[in-house]
Amino acid sequence: MSTSQAFFEFIENTITPIAARVASQRHVMAVRDGFIAAMPFMIVGSFLLVFAFPPFSADTQLGFAQWWLRIAKEYQGQILTPFNMSMGIMACYISAGIAYNLAQSYKLEAFPISMLGLMAFLLIAAPLKDGMLPASNLGGTGIFTAIIVAIFTVELVRLLKAYNIGIKLPEQVPEKIRHSFNMLIPALVIILTLYPLNLFIQHQFGMLLPEAIMAIFKPLVSASDTLPAILLATLLCHILWFAGIHGAAIVGGILQPFYLVNLGANQAALAAGHPLPHVFIEAFWSFFITLGGSGATLGLVLLYMRSKSAHLRSVGGLGIVPALFNINEPIIFGSPIVMNATMFIPFVFAPMINATIAYFAIQAGLVGKVIALVPWTAPAPIGAAWGAGWVMGNGILVLLLIALDLLIYLPFFKIYEKQLLEQEALEEQDTPEHGGVAQTA
Amino acid sequence: MVKIFLCCAAGMSTSMVVSKMRQAAAQQGVEAEITAVSMEDFDRTLPDYDCCLLGPQIKYKLDEFKTKGAALNKPVSVINSMDYGMMRGDKILKEALALLAH
Repeated sequence: MSTSQAFFEFIENTITPIAARVASQRHVMAVRDGFIAAMPFMIVGSFLLVFAFPPFSADTQLGFAQWWLRIAKEYQGQILTPFNMSMGIMACYISAGIAYNLAQSYKLEAFPISMLGLMAFLLIAAPLKDGMLPASNLGGTGIFTAIIVAIFTVELVRLLKAYNIGIKLPEQVPEKIRHSFNMLIPALVIILTLYPLNLFIQHQFGMLLPEAIMAIFKPLVSASDTLPAILLATLLCHILWFAGIHGAAIVGGILQPFYLVNLGANQAALAAGHPLPHVFIEAFWSFFITLGGSGATLGLVLLYMRSKSAHLRSVGGLGIVPALFNINEPIIFGSPIVMNATMFIPFVFAPMINATIAYFAIQAGLVGKVIALVPWTAPAPIGAAWGAGWVMGNGILVLLLIALDLLIYLPFFKIYEKQLLEQEALEEQDTPEHGGVAQTA
Repeated sequence: MVKIFLCCAAGMSTSMVVSKMRQAAAQQGVEAEITAVSMEDFDRTLPDYDCCLLGPQIKYKLDEFKTKGAALNKPVSVINSMDYGMMRGDKILKEALALLAH
C-alpha cells in the first residue's frame, strides 16, 4: 500500500469519524442552531451599516457621494439605531436561540427556557445602571458568555427536573399555568447562582462576568485571527470534504463564535473611527477561501465546461449555476473529487493559497477588512465587496483568485481528463451504458 | 401518494436534486410530494413524511437519523454520491420508492 493510500485511509477512518462526532454533539449543534436563529437579524442589521458609513473617501468629487457622506454624518445616531438593536446586541438573540435549541434537543419546554436563558444572560451582562441597560457586553464581546450562560441555564433546568425539584401543581390546573410554575424554581436558582458569582467577580477584579470570560478567551480569539489558524481551519475543512463529508458545516460551526467576536470588534472600531482590528471573519472565508464552494472550484467548473470528456462537461453544465452561489456538491460528488487522489492537491491547496494571498492583500491595505455579515450564497465577487462595505477592490481580488485557481487546477484537471477519456473510449467499445465513469484513481 | 424528504447541511444542494426528482416523478406518473430541508429541520419534518434521503455530505448523521426514523417506522438512507453529484433524479426517486417498498 502506498503512503498516499495510507494517508487517505487515515482521513476516512480516523479524522472523519472524530469530526462527525464533534459536529453531532448536542451542545455543539445547539450553539450552531442558535447562531442560525439569530442570523437574519444580524445580516439585516449589518447591511444597514453601509448607510451610516458610505463607501466613499472624504475627498470624493461625486456630488451624490458628498451628499450621502454629509447625511450619514449628520444623522449617524438615527441611522445606526436599527443596527444597534439587531447586530449590536446580537448576544441576546444568540443566548435565547442556543437555550431554545438545547432545550428542544432534551425535549424540554423550549420557549420558557429560551426566555430564561435570555434573563440569565442579561442578569450578568447588562445590570441596570441609572435606568439604562449598558449594551457594551451585548454585542460581539458577549458571545462566549451567551453560549456559556445558555448552556448553563438548560443544564440547570434539566438537573432540577431530573431530581424532581420544583413546584408541583395538581393535574386539574391548566397546562399553561403548570408550565409557568415549572420555571419558578429554575429562575430563582439561576439568580441565586449567577448573580452572586457576578458580584464576586465584580468585587474581586473590578469587571463583570462577561468581561472576565472575554479575558479568558482573548488569547484564543487573537490566535484565531492569524494566518496559521486560517490555514489550519482551511486544511481541516477540505480534508473532511475530501472524505465526502461537509467540512464547511463542521469547521464553520466551530469558527462561528470567533467570526462574530471579530466582526463585532471591527464594527465597533468602524463606529468609533478607529482602524479595523480583524481579518478572519465569515465573509473572508466564504468569498476568498471557498469561492464557488469548498475547494475554490469556480475556476475548475470553467475548465469542466470546455472539457473533452463528456462526463466532466456534463458535470460542468450541472455545476456552473450553483457554483455562482458557492454551492458545489455537483462538482464534489459528480466529478468526483471525493477520494479522488488526482484532485486532492489542488482541492486542498487552492483554497489555502487563496487564503494566504487574501490575508496579505488585507494586511497590505490593498483590499478592505470585513465589516458586515453577508449570506454565504452571495456570488463571490459581490459578496466580498459587500462584506467589506462595498469595497470594489475586494471584488476584483476575487476575480483574480478565480483566474489563479483555474491555473492551479489546470494540470490536475488535464491528468484527470485524460484518465476519463481513456475510460470513456473503453466504454464506447463495450457498452453504451453510463455510470461506471466514477471510480477512477 | 408518497412523501419523501431530502436533507443536507443547509438544504441548498438537495433542493436542486428535489426539482430533478419531481420532474422524474411527473414523467413516470408517480404521485409524490418531495421536499428538501436543512439538517436542523429533520426532527420537525420527519413526522409528516414517509421516508428521508440524506445528502452524502452529511452521511455522518445517518446513525442518529436512522434511530429517530426507526422510532416512527420511517426509513432513512444516504443517496449514492455519484447519483447525487450528477443530480440523477430518476435513479434517486427509484431508490426512494424501493426504500418505501420494504
